[in-house]
Amino acid sequence: MDIGFSAWLFLIAVGTSALGGALGMASGIFIVPVLVTFGGVGLRTAVAASIVSVIACSCGSAAAFLRAGLTNIRVAIVLETATTLGALTGVFLAGFLPPWFLFVLFALILLLSARQMLARRHDPAGVMTPEEVGSSDWATVLGLHSSYPDGALGRDVPYRVHRVPLGLGLMYGAGLVSALLGIGSGVLKIPAMDTALRLPIKVSSATSNFMIGVTAAASGVAYFALGEINPDVAGPVAVGSVIGALLGARFLMAVSGDRLRLFFVAVLIALAVQMLLEAFGIHLGGHAS
Amino acid sequence: MIESLARHYKLERLLARVLDQGTWLASGIICAGWLLAAAGWRSVSLINSGIALFLLLPVLRVVIMLVMFVRERDYRFGIIAAVVLSIIVLGALLGARIA
Repeated sequence: MDIGFSAWLFLIAVGTSALGGALGMASGIFIVPVLVTFGGVGLRTAVAASIVSVIACSCGSAAAFLRAGLTNIRVAIVLETATTLGALTGVFLAGFLPPWFLFVLFALILLLSARQMLARRHDPAGVMTPEEVGSSDWATVLGLHSSYPDGALGRDVPYRVHRVPLGLGLMYGAGLVSALLGIGSGVLKIPAMDTALRLPIKVSSATSNFMIGVTAAASGVAYFALGEINPDVAGPVAVGSVIGALLGARFLMAVSGDRLRLFFVAVLIALAVQMLLEAFGIHLGGHAS
Repeated sequence: MIESLARHYKLERLLARVLDQGTWLASGIICAGWLLAAAGWRSVSLINSGIALFLLLPVLRVVIMLVMFVRERDYRFGIIAAVVLSIIVLGALLGARIA
């Protein structure tokens, strides 16, 4: 094991995770492109290492959301049947897909994230109208409706959960992409929760974060069993991500949101271009190992 | 009116504690592996156990949910948690078979 390379991996993970945490994003989406482009790490190894860091970040931050009462654990476990199945599909499909396809998919996800970052999210309308939905829908049968404490209003706000089957379909896709690219796939989970289930923003962010851990564990355990997790890469990246996420949460309070947001959009677009170049076999940056 | 149907206060607090402490334990094990490596001991297995603990934390979280749902006689959700658990185990078995 090369100590210098480990230290470099650790610092990269702290940096990307702190930046990601400041905007409530998982760092996986940055780690894979950086490892591949500047670290000379193979795509499969980078994806498997990133999956471990995605789990570490999810577990590290899930506790705070749970204590704040924002996570809907019933919705999470129902949707996890679809995300874990998607993740398994992804792990075993990954071996059959050519690298260029994965790089193009990665570029698309990065651009989608950039777009999402520019658009402001709104709480879906009609969240608090329990009467308009029939009592035979999935969410009612499964008892998914809940409430969350709102600090500004100083009381619990009730909400209903909509269109569970559509949510399950979208979550299968999110799990698949998560396993293929080694990302948390919050970029796909959150729109599914906003538009299909129509959860309040705070609940959907917390629940998505909670689910990311189990989704990534499904693919992570399979990658581990396949022997594709390299401890010399995954170790520094995981610990660095945990520390970075903690720093990011502090950073979030200190920095102006809009400037950080624009900086992020620029970084996401630059990484997307890099992934496209990789897809066509053009390497930028030095290869450290 | 809907009265916080989906809230499980005790379970949520328990899960928060497990995930929190597990994250620090796993990070600590990996760091201990580095310290040993710096001291000249080859300790890949220690780092690997830290990584394995990270992978198992969410799985443990599903197991705890399964037990709590069954204990609350919420059998439908017990089955849902068991399905999630089986999918994860299936992945591990398939992976080990192919490797």
